[in-house]
Amino acid sequence: MGFSLGFLVGVFGVLVLSHAAYSTVQYRGLLKIMEEEFSGPPITVVAELLLGLVFSLWAALTVPGTFLSIHPHSEENMIVALPANLDFMVFNHRGKVFPVEMDLKLKH
Amino acid sequence: MVSKTEEAQLNRLENQVDNGGGGAWEYLCLVRKLKVRRSEKVLKYGMSILNDLSKRSSLGSEEWTLYEQVAVAAMDCQCLDVAKDLSKLLRKEFPESKRIGRLEAMLLEAKGSWEEAEKAYSSFLEDSPLDQVIHKRRVAMAKAQGNISGAIEWLNKYLEIFMADNDAWRELAEIYVSLQMYKQAAFCYEELILSQPTVPLYHLAYADILYTIGGLENIQTAKKYYASVINLTGGKNIRALFGISLCTSAIGLLAKGRNKEDKENPELQSLVATALEKDYKQRAPDKLSLLTTALRSLKVSS
Repeated sequence: MGFSLGFLVGVFGVLVLSHAAYSTVQYRGLLKIMEEEFSGPPITVVAELLLGLVFSLWAALTVPGTFLSIHPHSEENMIVALPANLDFMVFNHRGKVFPVEMDLKLKH
Repeated sequence: MVSKTEEAQLNRLENQVDNGGGGAWEYLCLVRKLKVRRSEKVLKYGMSILNDLSKRSSLGSEEWTLYEQVAVAAMDCQCLDVAKDLSKLLRKEFPESKRIGRLEAMLLEAKGSWEEAEKAYSSFLEDSPLDQVIHKRRVAMAKAQGNISGAIEWLNKYLEIFMADNDAWRELAEIYVSLQMYKQAAFCYEELILSQPTVPLYHLAYADILYTIGGLENIQTAKKYYASVINLTGGKNIRALFGISLCTSAIGLLAKGRNKEDKENPELQSLVATALEKDYKQRAPDKLSLLTTALRSLKVSS
């Protein structure tokens, strides 16, 4: 529990990759015994590599989080209001004439 | 900068707090983060947190930030007694703090004792001549006293030192607009566009000013800036759409009788009209007839 699907897939992908590495080492050992030249890894290892690559890529893209929009007109990026310039706040405004009818007292 | 999602979040929280659904602290945090001016609500909900001992102690050291926020809100609502109590409490906690000194000077401002506030600010500036907030407070004080030319002078002096302060440029632009000094205001908005070219609202304000100044060339430039607003907002800014159609008709009027070498793109007007009609149909179908008559009158005059 606690692990998302993406994370599990990532772990599986890394396992597949390390198995491919292990198989290659084994294959080279076998070649040495049979005294043949190493021309390339066997097709199963290549397939494993590709599969591991896809799994790891997918995990790397999903686990850290979702993508954020870079469009200036997307909901998150579109600026609809500028902040009120609070550093230049002026208290001498029309609210002074209509004080807030609030019964506020600090009770400490 | 308040983005659309943040605005929606703020409205949702405000609704929730207004209807007694809790979340007052989150609301106050968001108000502080977005720098919006909701003094009355901040005062009301801030005080309810501060008067509740268990809520207040659960904030930890954030408590003092809340004291400051509520104090400023109280000044804005002219509840000076509350503001005084709050600043006294803060002073007791932080006897040496300059920030509290600033708050006390603001309290003097709110009371209207300008000379004393001025004296306080000058003494702060002697200690630390590069304190931006205090420079800004002096500008605001000049503005509050109705001394607009003084405010402009202070602000120009301030901007000579702190040229990268966008808020100050915007304040200066707004002051110039209020005095109908559009050329100067346009200059300020040019600065703002240069420093933050992706904020559509600066483009919009600049275009508005250029349109107000008038003249064929200015209106043509204004149209380009309205177009850039549309580009940046994905066509969701109604004001820019209306701006385009107004500019087009004004250009049509002004360019009448002159040689029409630089022919305006006639498609733009009809595209803008379609976009406006579509938006009105979606959001305010009963006002669609008003829109069509307005657009027709613009087309007739061009």
